[in-house]
Amino acid sequence: MRSRRLAIALLAALPLLLLILTIGGALLLFQGGLEPYRVPRDAGTPIDADTGLLAHGEYVAAIGNCAGCHTVRGGTAFAGGRPFTTPWGTIYSTNLTPDAEAGLGDWSLPEFRHAMRHGVSRDGVLYPAFPYAHFALLDEADIRALFAWLRTLPASDYRPPPNRLEFPAGWRWTQVLWRMLHYRPQNPDFGAEMPAEWRRGRYLVDGLGHCGMCHGRRGAMGSLPASGYLAGGRIADSGWYAPPLDGQQLARYDASELADYLRSGISPHGSAYGPMGEVVYQSLQHLTAEDARAVATFLKSVPPRTPPRPAQGEAAHSFVAGAADLYEKHCAGCHGRDGEGGKDGAWPPLVDAVAVTAPDPVNAVRMILYGGIAPTTPGNPQPYSMPPFVEALDSAQVAALANYIRVRFGGQPPLVTAEMVRARHGIPAH
Amino acid sequence: MVAMPSLPIHCRLAVLALCGLLAATSARADLADATERLAACSACHGEQGEGVRGAEYYPHLAGKPAGYLFEQLQNFRDGRRVNAQMTWLVGSMDDAYMAAIATHYAAMPPRTRPADTGAETLTEAMRQTAVRLVEEGDPARDVPPCTACHGKALTGLEPAIPALVALPADYIIAQLGNWRSGVRHAQPPDCMAEVARDLSPGDIRAIAVWLSRQVAADGAGPAPAGSFLPPRACGAMPHGEAP
Ligand code: HEC
Ligand code: HEC
Ligand code: HEC
Repeated sequence: MRSRRLAIALLAALPLLLLILTIGGALLLFQGGLEPYRVPRDAGTPIDADTGLLAHGEYVAAIGNCAGCHTVRGGTAFAGGRPFTTPWGTIYSTNLTPDAEAGLGDWSLPEFRHAMRHGVSRDGVLYPAFPYAHFALLDEADIRALFAWLRTLPASDYRPPPNRLEFPAGWRWTQVLWRMLHYRPQNPDFGAEMPAEWRRGRYLVDGLGHCGMCHGRRGAMGSLPASGYLAGGRIADSGWYAPPLDGQQLARYDASELADYLRSGISPHGSAYGPMGEVVYQSLQHLTAEDARAVATFLKSVPPRTPPRPAQGEAAHSFVAGAADLYEKHCAGCHGRDGEGGKDGAWPPLVDAVAVTAPDPVNAVRMILYGGIAPTTPGNPQPYSMPPFVEALDSAQVAALANYIRVRFGGQPPLVTAEMVRARHGIPAH
Repeated sequence: MVAMPSLPIHCRLAVLALCGLLAATSARADLADATERLAACSACHGEQGEGVRGAEYYPHLAGKPAGYLFEQLQNFRDGRRVNAQMTWLVGSMDDAYMAAIATHYAAMPPRTRPADTGAETLTEAMRQTAVRLVEEGDPARDVPPCTACHGKALTGLEPAIPALVALPADYIIAQLGNWRSGVRHAQPPDCMAEVARDLSPGDIRAIAVWLSRQVAADGAGPAPAGSFLPPRACGAMPHGEAP
């Protein structure tokens, strides 16, 4: 009697079970099937590391900015330990030096290639703070050279702290579920019909340079959906806003100005600050002139995913009393009475600047509070600086100024309040 | 380079190495348009590095040894010294620009007025404690006199020991506290960490308040390199035997 009821119940549940299995199977296929979870154990062929290969590997490491993420401030380069703050807790980057215990000492080329392309290693399924979805595009020559070069680093036995993640994200296998929902491997053949320079640019932007890690608009659970491709957004870790990268956003630059900006961190239209300053300092200043040009060409071809923004000052509105005087007194000396900038761009224009056109006012508020110095590069060896105003102005004044420049020079509505400014106090750790 | 006849050879080499480092990285040491370039620094340290009137915390930079200033900039960038605003500003700055900035402020005339911090009043007891520790130290606790390293006039020693006079009391208290708690580091051996650990909080308050009222009235800068020999090992600075 009892067993019959069970059988009927099972029979009734069968379609549901099948449906779940089918959907699960399809989701597993979308993220690359089971292949990503088979970490190769073979030793692979030894690499013949000549100086040309090593120099190439060093270049790949620089443009991939491995050191930027795999070095904690004050720590040994490439030995890991930099914290990444996520809504689920903190993830620490790993040790990439050739130490046998703490680093990649006994890894084989096949295992390294697999981790870079699929985000799975002997340590389990890796978290997407590691940009494996971008590195999936890396070609064989780059991976070999990179691996050979990493092995020439001095070994460090430093062990990064263990991750501090909430239940259940702390279990690495939960990443399989995340990947089923949110990871779609890149199509290496995308744009195959395009000119070589464009394809090189796409390789650097979507692959090695992983620009989408900051410039992509995030979807649910920290994912990078195709709909948000280079569409811009708030960076979860540091709280800065990264603008879209497309032909519309970058219309102020011609291709050679944009290429120069990437290598020097400065241009007639603005200079790099915050996370972008770090990326230029640690990585992009090393781009070859051809590669910088390829990136610029590609970026200017990206179709915009955001509607065109309103023209300057269009939003009808009256400024807080005194905002114009504050601007005149504290800012106009450098940025110009009409936001046109000064000293040939060493004091950047505010007209159409990232911080004033961004829908998110966070960059404007932070720059006024804490000032900035563009990164030092061969193209800009002694950058000019912007003073912090955190002590000279109170929160209401900072809010009034942020609104004033965003309305007047960027056509944005005046969203900033003194409370928002207070909430943004405190310099982000990185 | 100043002659250093009385120094043992390894000490002379150490000084040369530090100066060499600075010279090598300051090929671009000329800083044209410095005041405008360094507007961010002026906001807290004053336009000539002389300190800002009424500032209750920020140290002045003018006339301090270039080697010392250079090392502090590196320390902020590389995490040996912690101040969020400083690290934010110099996080993406290379050694060459740092050396140029350090050289620029080192060449400015030293500050000749005391710190205007409105710090607590200096009681007679505090004054006595401070003067004793600064000038004689406390051999029982292995505390050397400040003057042994920072000079008789407390205006520092080239190339890497800073002046102490006229620094805001709160700043000195915070720095000694950071050394005690391991937040601030210098190049090893970190002599100041040892000294700070041997002082009591009361000593530190007395010294800090007293120092904030001292001045280099004649505008004297740091003593020339090698003009005397500090008793302890501090970074690459030449030193004598510990007493
Ligand atoms: C945006 C930051 C970021 C960049 C850029 C980055 N990594 Fe990582 N990487 C991480 C993080 C975070 C982890 C740890 C992920 C985890 O523990 O799940 C990691 C993990 C790895 C692993 C797996 C190590 C292991 O023990 O399983 C390898 C291999 C790796 N990175 C290599 C590289 C190389 C080579 C580069 C440069 C081309 C690079 N990474 C650039 C953040 C980054
Ligand atoms: C760590 C995060 C991060 C990464 C990685 C990153 N960026 Fe940025 N980027 C930013 C932020 C934040 C800004 C806005 C601040 C600024 O303008 O300096 C920015 C600004 C820019 C701008 C200026 C846009 C304008 O309208 O003026 C360009 C161009 C740019 N990034 C290109 C790139 C490229 C190309 C890559 C990849 C090779 C990249 N970025 C990688 C954070 C990042
Ligand atoms: C001494 C010159 C100077 C003064 C005064 C100054 N700035 Fe700046 N400002 C700069 C420099 C230089 C940069 C670029 C900094 C960098 O790249 O890190 C900058 C950058 C900015 C940016 C970022 C622009 C972008 O590309 O997104 C904003 C916003 C800004 N300033 C607003 C202000 C406001 C508002 C004031 C007045 C309260 C002000 N600045 C005063 C020199 C100055």
